[in-house]
Amino acid sequence: MTDRDAQPLLSLSKISKRYGGVRALEDVDFSCSAGSIHAILGENGAGKSTLIKIMSGVVQPDTGSMTLTGTPRRFLSPAEANAAGVVCVFQELSLMPDLSVADNISIVGPPTRLGLIDAKAQRRRAEELLASIGCEDVNPLLNVRDLPLSRRQMVEIAKALGKKPQLLILDEATSALTNSDVATIYEVLKRLRREGLSILYISHRMHEIEELADRASVFRNGRHIETFPMGRYGHGEIVELMIGREISAQYPPKVKRERPAPLFEVKKLTWENRLRAVDLSIGKGEIVGLGGLDGQGQKELLLALFGVLKGVTGEVTLDGKPALPGSPAEAKAPSRRIALIPEDRKTEGLMLPMSIAENLCSASLDALSTGPFIDRTKEEVAITDAIKRLQIKIGSPGDAVATLSGGNQQKVVIAKWLMTNPRVILLNDPTRGIDVGTKQEIYALLRQLADKGAAILFYSTDYDELIGCCDRVAVMYDGAIKVELEGDGITEQALIASALNIDAGAAARSGHGVHG
Amino acid sequence: MTAATLKPRRFALAADDKPIVIASAFIVVLLMIGTGYTLATQGTMTLLSPNYLLQQLQIGAFLGVVAAGMMLVILIGHIDLSVAWTLAAAAMMATTVGGAWAIPTGLAVGLTVGVINGLGVAYLRVPSMIFTLGVNAVMRGLMVAHTGGFAPQTAATDLMRFLAAERIAGIPMAIFVWLGVSVVIAIVLKRTVFGRTIYAIGNREAAAYLAGMHTRGVIITAFAACGMLAGLAGVLLAGYSTKAYQGMGDAYVLPAIAAVVIGGTNILGGRGKYLGTVVGVILIVLLNSVLSIMQMPEAGRQIIYGVVIISMLLVYGRNQRVTS
Repeated sequence: MTDRDAQPLLSLSKISKRYGGVRALEDVDFSCSAGSIHAILGENGAGKSTLIKIMSGVVQPDTGSMTLTGTPRRFLSPAEANAAGVVCVFQELSLMPDLSVADNISIVGPPTRLGLIDAKAQRRRAEELLASIGCEDVNPLLNVRDLPLSRRQMVEIAKALGKKPQLLILDEATSALTNSDVATIYEVLKRLRREGLSILYISHRMHEIEELADRASVFRNGRHIETFPMGRYGHGEIVELMIGREISAQYPPKVKRERPAPLFEVKKLTWENRLRAVDLSIGKGEIVGLGGLDGQGQKELLLALFGVLKGVTGEVTLDGKPALPGSPAEAKAPSRRIALIPEDRKTEGLMLPMSIAENLCSASLDALSTGPFIDRTKEEVAITDAIKRLQIKIGSPGDAVATLSGGNQQKVVIAKWLMTNPRVILLNDPTRGIDVGTKQEIYALLRQLADKGAAILFYSTDYDELIGCCDRVAVMYDGAIKVELEGDGITEQALIASALNIDAGAAARSGHGVHG
Repeated sequence: MTAATLKPRRFALAADDKPIVIASAFIVVLLMIGTGYTLATQGTMTLLSPNYLLQQLQIGAFLGVVAAGMMLVILIGHIDLSVAWTLAAAAMMATTVGGAWAIPTGLAVGLTVGVINGLGVAYLRVPSMIFTLGVNAVMRGLMVAHTGGFAPQTAATDLMRFLAAERIAGIPMAIFVWLGVSVVIAIVLKRTVFGRTIYAIGNREAAAYLAGMHTRGVIITAFAACGMLAGLAGVLLAGYSTKAYQGMGDAYVLPAIAAVVIGGTNILGGRGKYLGTVVGVILIVLLNSVLSIMQMPEAGRQIIYGVVIISMLLVYGRNQRVTS
């Protein structure tokens, strides 16, 4: 095929990028050629997004170089990348909801007449571009806000094509499309390939990749693992490549034992169309993981159990008594004692400018006060205990929590909730963006809390963690729990296969074939 | 000031003290300039006489009571623009009812308006700037309907006059009222769960809510307190002038906000000490007084007043707020 004979359109050499202490890309060499659809595969956090952000000028690499059709280039902004013909359709939609479709498509460099925007020409342009991707039904004068999500994604693609790309990057750009749209997009992409475009395609849907791509590159932990023509490997082998064999953290030992009686039970929990009749039960002393790809309802499930979402239906019982809270205040009340370590510590977990002490006490003020007054002595004792228990490294408890490192900030969030002595602990990806040492402390702490009788529900985007920490893992797909893995059944193959909602047995068998 | 005798606490942020120090220094400078002027023109040191200073504090008491409430609302990241006509309405209703019920009526009017503001902001989620502005207009309309647009003929009760204009041992009663309010607010902000929640909401409402704090209740209570304190100021002011009059609160809204901000409270909420607000009130009252002693024409006074507020904020503005 168009393998290695042609000169690559874009090639990266020795690209590295770190965010703070986290390495996102390390020494990556990568190239893509004209007239090809190139899939990029990898787990969450493998470095895919960073790679395309560097290509499209959103972030700058720390080291390494990039050449476009043989000439060295460096894009300092998305506008520069666009001008050079590198256009990216990002996962998060970039459309302005209160502007019309036509305005959005020509948001950069609209057609002008006598220096003013030529609305007629702009509308014609929008119509042509939409027609080219089979979206004649979209009225260019409608506001984007009034379009369904699938139409918005098509508008986004039309907008990208309007920039006349040589290299078109689609980052999960088909995730909300209907089946008929997907068919149209396939046709469009194949036509563009014939016209000589290079297309980078990121998707978690394996069958789409098989249908479309002629080459694929696998990334893992910020490294480029392998690039191969499609068809060389089967499903299972690709999954193996995505997981790799690296073990990046040590976990406390799990004790084999009988499954404990359920303490916290969830039945038919439903919320809008994001949670569809979720059934789950967690025993006393159990750590249950939540797996699956990002955005399958895991966060919503945790928020619903913590009383944040309104209009949740279904049954939640704690020790046999009804326990669905109506607000976080009810969730942490002594009758329930549910805690949630939220997703984003900077905006949801902490009041950054306030002191470490004030943050630590913020969830347990009721217990630390007499009448309306905060009891200074109790407060001081509790703060000292918490800092010692989690070994939080601080200067003084009066310092602003913003002065701490990410790992220590996260410890403050966890400590704040442990001060409420919770029976149920919900964690939303608690180890994201923190160093390995602190991660290990958190794993050990979770096991210790479980041993003392807490029921723990642990959502993580890191499969390694789920395998290392959890007694059971419930894998979510499209708002429901599809598979529950237990004990030795929690393997990388099984997790990824059930996350992609493909047959676990098939993946395991072919995976076995690679090594066998 | 009692607030001044509360020592810096464990949780005190040093950055919070800087505006208070600067504003206090500016008060001293103002007194020096004023004294220099009176020495040069009249050969006296009027500004340093106890009587003059007590009189300034008495005038400051009305503004101080309004600013104390305003500070609670600003700390949670909101603003109350309805205090002008809340104050006037409380004064008018208090004098209308008269007798023993005059003061409770005034306070109840303020409390009611404050609760309405709080419900609008906490439940209807209308931006406070818009909601309280609307409530202000409604209150104004109600009062015009009530009085026919003229100054009410009713007079303040003896108790109202006593609280606002009398003196005990040479010290104006109004100062004691302000002192009482100040002690309560300072303790509430420093020592109570309610106070801690106010700062938490002002810093990051989502995090406070997810920590299981009763954010809505606290928002409503803060507005209610602000309304009630505006009502108290209205009652006092009516006592001081012996009656209520149209537009009596108009001169208090912006100075109250300015006093809070000059005292170092972040206008976006979450940071600030009550002592700063007291200092801010004194600064504003003195500035007005010194300018009028110097017989500055109205236009010049307004300009200087505005320039002083802006430049004070520019001086503080630099190391405000820790960013991540």
